[in-house]
Amino acid sequence: MSSIPVDAETKVGAAPDLAAAARAQDLAVRLDGVTKRFGNTVALNDAWLQVRRGEFLTLLGPSGCGKTTMLNLVAGFLFPDNGEVFIDGALVTDVPTYEREIGIVFQNYALFPHMTVASNVGYGLKARGVAQREIAERVTEILAMMKLAGLEDRKPGQLSGGQQQRVALARALVIRPKVLLLDEPFSALDKNLRSAMQIEVKEIQRKLGVTTIFVTHDQSEALSLSDRIAVVSEGKIRQIGTPQEIYRRPANRFIASFIGEVSVLRARLERIEKSEAVVQVGAASITVPAGPLAGQSPGITVDLFVRPEQLCLASGDVALEGQVATTVYQGDHVDLYIDAPAAASTRILMRLPSHDRVPGAGATIGLAIGGHDATAFPAVES
Amino acid sequence: MKTQRRPFFGLFATPGVLVALLFAGAMVMVLQFSVRLQIPGSLDVGGFTFRNFTAMLHPLYARVFLDTLWLCVLTAVFSLVLGYPLAYALVRSRRVAVKSAILIITVTPLFLGEVVRTYSWVVVLGNNGFINSLLLDFQVIAQPLRILFTLTGVTIVLVHVTLPVVTIMLAAAIAHIDTAYEKAAESLGARPVRVFFTVTLPLSGPGIVAGLATAFAWTFSAFATPQLIGGGKVNMISNLVYQLGFGNFNFPFAASLSVAGLALTFASIAVLRLALRPLEKVGP
Repeated sequence: MSSIPVDAETKVGAAPDLAAAARAQDLAVRLDGVTKRFGNTVALNDAWLQVRRGEFLTLLGPSGCGKTTMLNLVAGFLFPDNGEVFIDGALVTDVPTYEREIGIVFQNYALFPHMTVASNVGYGLKARGVAQREIAERVTEILAMMKLAGLEDRKPGQLSGGQQQRVALARALVIRPKVLLLDEPFSALDKNLRSAMQIEVKEIQRKLGVTTIFVTHDQSEALSLSDRIAVVSEGKIRQIGTPQEIYRRPANRFIASFIGEVSVLRARLERIEKSEAVVQVGAASITVPAGPLAGQSPGITVDLFVRPEQLCLASGDVALEGQVATTVYQGDHVDLYIDAPAAASTRILMRLPSHDRVPGAGATIGLAIGGHDATAFPAVES
Repeated sequence: MKTQRRPFFGLFATPGVLVALLFAGAMVMVLQFSVRLQIPGSLDVGGFTFRNFTAMLHPLYARVFLDTLWLCVLTAVFSLVLGYPLAYALVRSRRVAVKSAILIITVTPLFLGEVVRTYSWVVVLGNNGFINSLLLDFQVIAQPLRILFTLTGVTIVLVHVTLPVVTIMLAAAIAHIDTAYEKAAESLGARPVRVFFTVTLPLSGPGIVAGLATAFAWTFSAFATPQLIGGGKVNMISNLVYQLGFGNFNFPFAASLSVAGLALTFASIAVLRLALRPLEKVGP
């Protein structure tokens, strides 16, 4: 797989003011060429990352990709073999965790089971030698903000999952950390509670303006919460950008297939014009970004990555013909799995609103590609 | 139906049941001996009496009970104080060599026979033993230290006996503490010492209680150590039982001392657990 490491500020849809915004004093966290090895395994390979002040940045990748290693390096639980870590402009590569002024919410919350909610939340303030009365005030204030008032004297074991998470968040935020680190904090919650907590966390983060680094393997979580996403795989940052950029302009095949659902069609490269390229698929011509196809000559076969919602039924200049294999009713929409011999992926997924007339299984249909969000990459030999 | 699901249950349980019956039988024998009269000059026992238990209140015997309790307390506390750092290093060290060294050093005493181990200590602690010759040679002391046949000597050897078990129990407890708690504390600005005293140590509570109780109960029944290292000057209940049973052939009194010792062990552990209940009640 060819991978294109992309620097966020220069290549990925950089707005003109971003370079200025990235000036050193606006950076809350910076990783400069950080490498971390465990024995012979390279967990993180020459990672460069800049997190702006107040930003919600997500490290997204499959398990074992190095995203947690990156978090641990920022937290100071691990120290890099190469490269430097900066927090708030200060070099902290060799600074121990307890001097880094960070807040962490762990996957299992790690609330101290032998302490009450109030002692848990006040722990960081006590460690800083804050006066008893101020501790009480700040704890009360943050607990009220987290809708935890009245639970001060409970032990963590007597709280629900959502309450435990709020306490963990309160404990991390009450010390006014320079950066808040969230290590898959939602994975232990059930689905309904999870989305409610996501909204809550996002609101609190925005209200306090605290710089946040969020680690997850859940791409929908990443898309819905982040200001920017850094996609990590095999110890490298593959792309950094806004959720829209990552979803609509994936930098490479890995990201295109990792984020969201995607089907791959065979197409032929017609021509490249500046930033756009035109590819021919069936009887249809589609415009795609030229970036991933740079240097390719017209006439070659390319793989066209399309999202389920970009496909629509057509009878005229169809891109592709296929036979409906299965339809899956999803409430607000219907997923159609289509067998198309001309496609590169074995099955094509398309999504239709459920109030539309949906062709049944066995029907032969023509497909067209709408919108401008398809992406093409040079075909790989298989 | 039940036998269908666990076809070998009866077969497997048989040896256990036999051993349990044997123990129960022996206990009943001891219990009934403890309330019988001794017939001087005979191994047979006489009629029912409580005199054996009232005789125990004599200062001579009460003294041995108190010494035993005191030795148990000392041994339990020292085993804990020495065992905790060992257990902590055993669990948390990242170096395999360190772990192996600790494990070998702590566990080896368990594999030595009690008498062999105790005699080795006689060689080490005696007036011309290893420690005294070393200290004399380097002129740290002018007279040999009296360690053998003293409470100190007995305590040292008792700690050596209980240390492996206490260490392993503590290690099990420490291994169960999620390191995320310590990481969380550290991220909140707590230095390592504070992390240890506010998080790690309180969360080791259950292991500490179990270790103390085990060391206490185990020391209570110590025999070879006080016999050989105490040399008749430091006596524990087992030594008294042995002396009365096999020196004076007063089986009823020996039996009643055993029963009293057993009762005292249970009582002490109950008190210990009650006192340490707050420690034990940590965890989710």
